[in-house]
Amino acid sequence: MEKENGSGLKVVHRMTIIKRIIHWTLFLSIINNIITGFYIAYPFLIFGKTPSQADSPTVGVLNSGETYQAFIMTWMREFHFIGAVLIDVSFFAWLYLAFFSTKEPLYKSFLPFGNKIHETFDMVKHYFTLKNKPKTGKYQDPLNAMIFTFFHLLILLQMATGFQMYVASFTGTSAVGGWWPTLLHISTDWTLWVFGGLTGVTLAHLFIMWLIIIFIFYHIYTEIWRSIIWKEGDILIPFSGYKYSRDNLEKITEDEN
Amino acid sequence: MGADNHTKVHIKVKKLKKKDNENNIDSKIKEHGVNESRPALNESKPDNYCVNKASEDFKWDPLRNISEDSDEVLKIIDSRLNNLEKEYFQEKKDINKNFKNVFTANGVSRREFIQWTALLTSALMLPTIFAPRVARAANILTRTPFIWLDMSDCMGNTEAFLRTAHPTPAEIILNYVSVDYMESIMVPAGYQAEARRDGTVKKYKGKYILVVEGAIPTAMNGKFLTIGAKGKTGLEITKSIAKNAGVIIAVGNCASYGGIPAAHPNPTGSVGLSSVTDRQVINIPACPANPVNLVGTLVEYLLIGKAPMLDSLGRPLWAYSGRLHDNCYRRGHFEAGEYVKHWGDDGAKKQYCLYMMGCKGPFTWNNCTVAQYNQDMSFPMRAGHGCIGCSEPAFWDRMTPFEKPNADAKIFMPAVEATADEFGVALFGAAGVGIAAHAIYTGVKKRKNNKNKNKDKNKDDKLNNGDNK
Repeated sequence: MEKENGSGLKVVHRMTIIKRIIHWTLFLSIINNIITGFYIAYPFLIFGKTPSQADSPTVGVLNSGETYQAFIMTWMREFHFIGAVLIDVSFFAWLYLAFFSTKEPLYKSFLPFGNKIHETFDMVKHYFTLKNKPKTGKYQDPLNAMIFTFFHLLILLQMATGFQMYVASFTGTSAVGGWWPTLLHISTDWTLWVFGGLTGVTLAHLFIMWLIIIFIFYHIYTEIWRSIIWKEGDILIPFSGYKYSRDNLEKITEDEN
Repeated sequence: MGADNHTKVHIKVKKLKKKDNENNIDSKIKEHGVNESRPALNESKPDNYCVNKASEDFKWDPLRNISEDSDEVLKIIDSRLNNLEKEYFQEKKDINKNFKNVFTANGVSRREFIQWTALLTSALMLPTIFAPRVARAANILTRTPFIWLDMSDCMGNTEAFLRTAHPTPAEIILNYVSVDYMESIMVPAGYQAEARRDGTVKKYKGKYILVVEGAIPTAMNGKFLTIGAKGKTGLEITKSIAKNAGVIIAVGNCASYGGIPAAHPNPTGSVGLSSVTDRQVINIPACPANPVNLVGTLVEYLLIGKAPMLDSLGRPLWAYSGRLHDNCYRRGHFEAGEYVKHWGDDGAKKQYCLYMMGCKGPFTWNNCTVAQYNQDMSFPMRAGHGCIGCSEPAFWDRMTPFEKPNADAKIFMPAVEATADEFGVALFGAAGVGIAAHAIYTGVKKRKNNKNKNKDKNKDDKLNNGDNK
């Protein structure tokens, strides 16, 4: 999907509408899950109505006074689970599209074969030398593709540890039948061995959240950096789906240098 | 009544002594006045106590649906109980007498005993039709040969079972079980004690109940624990006695999963019982284990002649299938966001949730909230302290710090001494510094490049101009 306009800039199509929806669903639900997850790990808002516990600025504002009127942990957990379901659905949609997308399947970029490794190193080199910018093509650049894949593996790990904690309260059956806890046990019980019991799984879940936060900041930074340095409008991709390419202006830039 | 019982025993022992002096081991033991209320094994009727092997294959799933053919199961259980009663009691009168000797003597009336059996039946998740059978099994249990081994432990379970001020039938049964070997309460010592133990193993091969308390050190070939006059290692003793036991029960967290002796770095190489024997072990973890769970498991074993349904960690499902957090009476305060923040604050007085005081109820499976401790009266959360997760493997490593939320625990990572949040924030800070450094570097580099470009341009312009001229 490359179009030329009068200025000589090419327009490159990068994200289909479904991919953009997945992107923003993930963004919103991850932010939601970080906030609610922090609360579940360490309940920072205390809705106690007793005077000696009134050391929270929210007491008196949010506190209604009766236990049954303030099911704050219930709501935090509820939203955490809703966010988790959205993330899981988005993850599986991403996984499908990474292989079977008709327009730009991600696997063509992230499989580290042939010149893909070379291109990755070229991009890293470019980040530190600002020279020899790799050409903008139809597909993701391999460095970004690999980092995105790593990020989705983190999401997968969060899913496994999260579902292990979720299935812990099941006693062999559920509202939808026995297959649901059985499925969760089969797919997530390995985390108990890897991380050392349910407490270890909880701590792993907490720690991976920090890796995801770091990824978010890295991701925003690189996209802004690219937009400023390359002047190709990379930051626009998740909004409109398009970015620009200056590669047909190569001659001019060569002349400039 | 208890004193009466003992005098009777002594008389009987003396009579027996006159009868057979040829068996040296037995007579030696009897001289030392061991509780010998159980009659000598009736050698003439071997079929009676050989329970039909095929009957052990029946389905037993009390949590959902006991069996497809419940009448068949009841028949099997009744015939088992009949056989066991024939084996361990001399006559029918003896059964009632035994009840009086054991329970009435300890201030438990028949009525209270029946109430307790109803409690135990429902705790075992059995229908009421089993209640009279549970009562019969509890009575038989006081006569079943029993070996209690103490490995590396603090004897906390023994103390919990034997030193109750107002014992419930569960504790009374554990006081009165026909203990052939139990280091803390047996009368014989030294060689005689061991002879007694080996005699029981020989005599009741495949029938005696083996209860092990305490972890088993395996490092240095088990030399960290040697017991008795012959200086045998705990590892040897456990292995040899477990070989011929009817049922093997690991009581307490140490025997089940290694517990505190096996806590990191575990220099003695302590392990749970299931790691040293290849036979099936029923784990009754907790620190100490609830007597109801031990007696209930033993009663269920007497009823069905095999281990009850176990979870993946070898614990009986009827006792350990519920998560403490889900059954806790403070759960409502957890959902409402009402937490105890300091010991003794107003929240503590109002019995708010102990989640922020490090309660490990969300990670622990046990029935303390249902069949409670201290004469069925209390459990940690009721007493105002959080759960420490004592029925879970490696709780000393995984559940600490006990009085802080799990999020404040140090993570197990080589060369990292930090909580998940501390380490995460440190990494996040490092990443932030890296990003900032790269941004500054980019800015400086770009400015330099631009300057160079401008210089080059100027040069080019000059050259071009010169050419033109």
